[in-house]
Amino acid sequence: MADLSHGSADAPAHHQLTGIDNRKLGMWVFLSSEFLFFGALINNYLLFKGRDFGPGTLYPVELYDIPFTSISSFVLLMSSLTMVLAHSALARGDQDQTKTWLFATALLGTIFVSGQFFEFGEFILHGLKLNINPAASAFYMLTGFHGLHVVLGVLMLLVLAFKSMRTGGLSEAEGLNVELVGLYWHFVDIIWIVIFVLVYLIQ
Amino acid sequence: MAGGAHHHPQPRQYVSIAIVLAVLTAAEVALFYLEDGVDAIGQSLTVPALLILSALKFYLVVAMFMHLRFEKRLLSRFFTSGAILACGLYLITLAALGAVVLF
Repeated sequence: MADLSHGSADAPAHHQLTGIDNRKLGMWVFLSSEFLFFGALINNYLLFKGRDFGPGTLYPVELYDIPFTSISSFVLLMSSLTMVLAHSALARGDQDQTKTWLFATALLGTIFVSGQFFEFGEFILHGLKLNINPAASAFYMLTGFHGLHVVLGVLMLLVLAFKSMRTGGLSEAEGLNVELVGLYWHFVDIIWIVIFVLVYLIQ
Repeated sequence: MAGGAHHHPQPRQYVSIAIVLAVLTAAEVALFYLEDGVDAIGQSLTVPALLILSALKFYLVVAMFMHLRFEKRLLSRFFTSGAILACGLYLITLAALGAVVLF
């Protein structure tokens, strides 16, 4: 696979003191810092999930629909495959496949977020409001912020895909953008891998 | 992806990795449902097994899909240091607040 992190002669110059494009290095540092962000939210949920907030109150764990969340998790996992296939196609110079896989990734991300909206809607209909107890607040904060990250990822994917459609293909310089969006997308996926087990499966 | 661009997996290998990830997810869900049907020893093994499966999936995505395995060591250091720092910090917090028992 071609290395998309080193621009061509006509691409804008970026310092590479470390031998790595600074934008790519910046993305990895950003993702590394995101561990602390999501770690705090997961930590917050784990602190409150086992606590007793009095009789009659509702807890997220009572409403989990594991088969539904498992399918959502599978969808997000497969979006990582379509993302890496988009990156791989671009490295081979196959613009059509790049476009197709970028749209497929955005579609799978949209399906995941729609599932999350559906889940939130079901929970609220059952009475699990955001402020009913700290466990519910922590659950909505964690999964909501993750969903927001997915929405941002979908928007970035759509920008790249439509740009590719409009211009007939992505340039080598824009290839790095695909790689950076891909890194972000895979990170969102690995955070869900952790959330799925710690929040949904280990009760 | 300096230093190892030609080592990147081919599309067919990416599909194989995705199949492994799907199987691991199915195993996680199966463990969740099997937990009720096993004895106390079996139940005590469920949580470590789920954590191991999740760690495997995490590693596969980071190493193969994010290509960290083929990247310069500096990036691995940044990424793993962030992950270790977060895990350490929050494990200590959870232990200090009594949510988990470390020792």
